[in-house]
Amino acid sequence: MSYKVKLNIFEGPFDLLVYLIENAEMSIYDIRVSEITSQYLRHIEMMREQDVMVGADFLVLAATLIELKSKMLLPRIKADGEIEEDPRAELAQKLIEYSKFKKLAAALEEQMDFAALKLVKPKEDLTPYTGEPDEYLLLDTEHFIAAFKAFIYKKRKNEEILYIQNRAGRERMSVAAKKSSIRRFLQKAKDRFVRFRELLSPESDRCDKVVTFVSLLEMIKSGLASVRQSGNFKEIEVTFKSSER
Amino acid sequence: MPTKKTIKSAFESMMFVWGEPLDAKIAADAMGIDKSEASEYFKELRREYEEQGRGIRIREINGKFQFVTSEENFDYIRSVCTPVRERRLSQAALETLAIVAYKQPVTKSEIDSVRGIKSDRVLEGLMKKGLVEERGRSSAIGRPTLYGTTEAFLANFDLKTVKDLPAIEDIEDAIHFEEAKTTVEIRQTSLDLEQ
Repeated sequence: MSYKVKLNIFEGPFDLLVYLIENAEMSIYDIRVSEITSQYLRHIEMMREQDVMVGADFLVLAATLIELKSKMLLPRIKADGEIEEDPRAELAQKLIEYSKFKKLAAALEEQMDFAALKLVKPKEDLTPYTGEPDEYLLLDTEHFIAAFKAFIYKKRKNEEILYIQNRAGRERMSVAAKKSSIRRFLQKAKDRFVRFRELLSPESDRCDKVVTFVSLLEMIKSGLASVRQSGNFKEIEVTFKSSER
Repeated sequence: MPTKKTIKSAFESMMFVWGEPLDAKIAADAMGIDKSEASEYFKELRREYEEQGRGIRIREINGKFQFVTSEENFDYIRSVCTPVRERRLSQAALETLAIVAYKQPVTKSEIDSVRGIKSDRVLEGLMKKGLVEERGRSSAIGRPTLYGTTEAFLANFDLKTVKDLPAIEDIEDAIHFEEAKTTVEIRQTSLDLEQ
């Protein structure tokens, strides 16, 4: 992110020079080069004092002015008596060209202000006219009924899933509770092992089984229980280890 | 067979829906007439709106036509809504834009030479605003890019074509440099070096 801070009103070296010339009430065709050069240099010095980055373009013109100043000191009559062109002519031409466009810029600005009084309706969204036409339902009653049934089926299925999800959420909350209930159960059994299926109530669903199993795993991890299984799909035998031991 | 009246009526409807400047060619094709005939009808419509002093006028931009509000009603429009005025262009941007508009197609170095300063940044800004666009390349050495003004420029400045820009001659007269030319004098005519 850069910040551009504008401190002086001059848009470029020509802008500054034209200002100085006009200010001194000189003709652009008859610039008093020495006077203008020192003013120009003084101005650049001032800009520097104000910490303005003086662009190379300003220095190029300063050099041109100094060159002009020296040329003005030399005679302009050639050996054959012909008078050389005024060395200031080229600069004068450039300054006139610049002034012309500066004036044109002002004219443009006026034109823009005038144009701003005329308002245009912004182009509206034409998609209602150009977009895809609406689809029609080309269905007979049977199709319609089938579609409705499919919709009802989907809705019921969704509700079912939602119900299971909610329950799973609830049960997951109760792992801690499950752990203490398993613990109580195991303590009652003393040192005897308990089959995993005994931990489950007859009406326990898949969700409950999972929670029970997870609770048991946690108890094993914290050393409250140990398990043994003689083989795949055989009974899991759970033994309680009291914490005192 | 569409009559002159129905064609003009159709053009009004088309301009109304389109909003943007409507190309006379497109309108002409729709009615099965040629472009110059269509332009004539558009211009007739424009005259009618002006003569009747309507609050909506037709504006021509680059052979395209568009409905705009009458500038006299700007203050009244402001009482219903405050139109956002586009941010004004900086002096540097205006200068550069003027050079591009009057000298187009123009190269960057030509612009720099008139302004006496590099104009890259300003030109970039004008292009971003959609007022200036690239116009191919010059055949000069290095084949520099040429720049010109866009249709959005014409619309923003309410100009039919670039020919409608404020006349350059009027500006030259206004500067009064020409008189000064006669006062050129040679201050030093000789210097006797032998003395």
